[in-house]
Amino acid sequence: MPIHDQSYRHYAGGRAAPGQAWAVIAWAGIRNMIRKRIFLGLLLFAWFPFVVRAVQMYIAANYPQASMLAPTAQTFRQYLEQQDFFVFVITIYVGAGLIANDRRANALQIYLSKPLMRAEYILGKLAVLFAFLLLVTAIPALLLLLLQVMFAGNVTFVRNNLFLFPAITASTLLQVLLVSFTMLALSSLSKSARYVGILYAGITFFSTAVFGVMYAITGSSTFSWISIGSNLTQVVDVIFRAKPRYDTPWSVSLLVIVGLVVVSISVLERRVRGVEVVT
Amino acid sequence: MTETSATSRPIPAAPGYLASALRIFDLSIGEMLWSKRTIFMALIVAAPVCIALLVRTLDLLGARIVENTNMPGPAIFGLMIWVFYLRFMVPVLGVFYGTSLIADEVDDKTITYLFTRPISRGAVLVGKFFAYLGCTVFVVLPSVVIVYLLIVPMRGSLGGSFIDLVKDLVLLGIGLAVYGAVFAYVGAQFNRPLLIGLIFIFGWEQAALAFPGYLKRMTVAYYLQALVPHAMPSDSVLGLIQSIFRESPSLPVSLAWLAGICLTFLSLAASVVDRREYVLEQ
Repeated sequence: MPIHDQSYRHYAGGRAAPGQAWAVIAWAGIRNMIRKRIFLGLLLFAWFPFVVRAVQMYIAANYPQASMLAPTAQTFRQYLEQQDFFVFVITIYVGAGLIANDRRANALQIYLSKPLMRAEYILGKLAVLFAFLLLVTAIPALLLLLLQVMFAGNVTFVRNNLFLFPAITASTLLQVLLVSFTMLALSSLSKSARYVGILYAGITFFSTAVFGVMYAITGSSTFSWISIGSNLTQVVDVIFRAKPRYDTPWSVSLLVIVGLVVVSISVLERRVRGVEVVT
Repeated sequence: MTETSATSRPIPAAPGYLASALRIFDLSIGEMLWSKRTIFMALIVAAPVCIALLVRTLDLLGARIVENTNMPGPAIFGLMIWVFYLRFMVPVLGVFYGTSLIADEVDDKTITYLFTRPISRGAVLVGKFFAYLGCTVFVVLPSVVIVYLLIVPMRGSLGGSFIDLVKDLVLLGIGLAVYGAVFAYVGAQFNRPLLIGLIFIFGWEQAALAFPGYLKRMTVAYYLQALVPHAMPSDSVLGLIQSIFRESPSLPVSLAWLAGICLTFLSLAASVVDRREYVLEQ
């Protein structure tokens, strides 16, 4: 078949406005994860504590004999604490390969050769982890609050604990922000998702182990700022108006969290580049 | 015809299982020792040494932070063995290296080169396992000795707790071998070995040890902790619950179970590598 037209064919598709490409990356990442049955099982398992709490609230609202099961503000704090394990597992499952796999396949150069800014690429990858982490923390916690109102048939609990809505939102956002940025920064450091996963687990548990040893030696929890998890616990305790459980001032813990996020952003800024300029 | 057969080189016999494993060990140990991964391991084992150095310096300077506690050096050393080495380092290194034994070769697409050699596939895994063991033992154990030398002299005597040091070194070696074998099997069998390994050590083992009954017998930590000569610390709520429900099997029972777990999982891993067809990513 002869070729009649050998001229350049102009692009006939639509042109997305700048700054919207991150959504494409995010949606592709989310779809990719949702296709995996094991991951769906993990998400379902992560919602199991929600079901248990919902049953607890139902019983407390309908059977006066079970009044000891009635929810308090601390019930929501405890629920979020229980979700920490799932946050850890999902972070490794979803986050470890987000950038590392692209680096391994040399896809970063392809991504960044498109009309896509580095910030959009990072935002897109961040959104994937963000979405799944919020799905097992903020969303079930807020749903529990809603369920409590529906089971009780009044808004007395919510009116008495009006701070719960912003507390749940702020604490989960803080946790998800810290975890997502840390994992993404680690993911940008290596080409192996397995190496990233073990690095993340190592940092998380090792910092806790160091704090544990210092606590046992000194008999004081002043060194809780060493542990990433303890910093988060300390700040979230304050957000939920509970007595902070460590001696470290909560502002120091918050500073460490902010510092970690800033360091992670700096790492991402250095590592996510289309071409490496060798000087 | 006779002349041709006389000049042709005879085909050497394929090496036996043990000889093959030793060749792979020889090949792998150098690669393992001089890899980026060793930097990660060195960082991990350097941390307890740094903390020991800090505590010792503070003690020598008479800082209040150490004076506040009456903990003698041997007790601090025991605490560090529990928290750093037994609960963290040994399982994490086991997961990291154990799951990578075969997975690394698959990821790098170099497993084909090993499998085309005239050696048993299982011997490849066994050789790599011994290389892992040699590599980790020679990095972790010196760190324990340095921590011992730094910490124990604080209100304690080196001679008095030397036997405990020897026991610690032996049990850490056993721990590295058993966890390594378990995760070598996980790495050979499953596609997501790291996640399974992390859930096993930080989820299953921690939870099972905190329950009364037989559940804890399905962990490696249960048998390994029975060998520890130091008191179990209650540094967290979970640690406190675990110490409440702690029951220790006797030394021979623990050793027998640990040997059984190690051999079983190593043979399972070798058999999986023998049978499984690894599909390399294109």
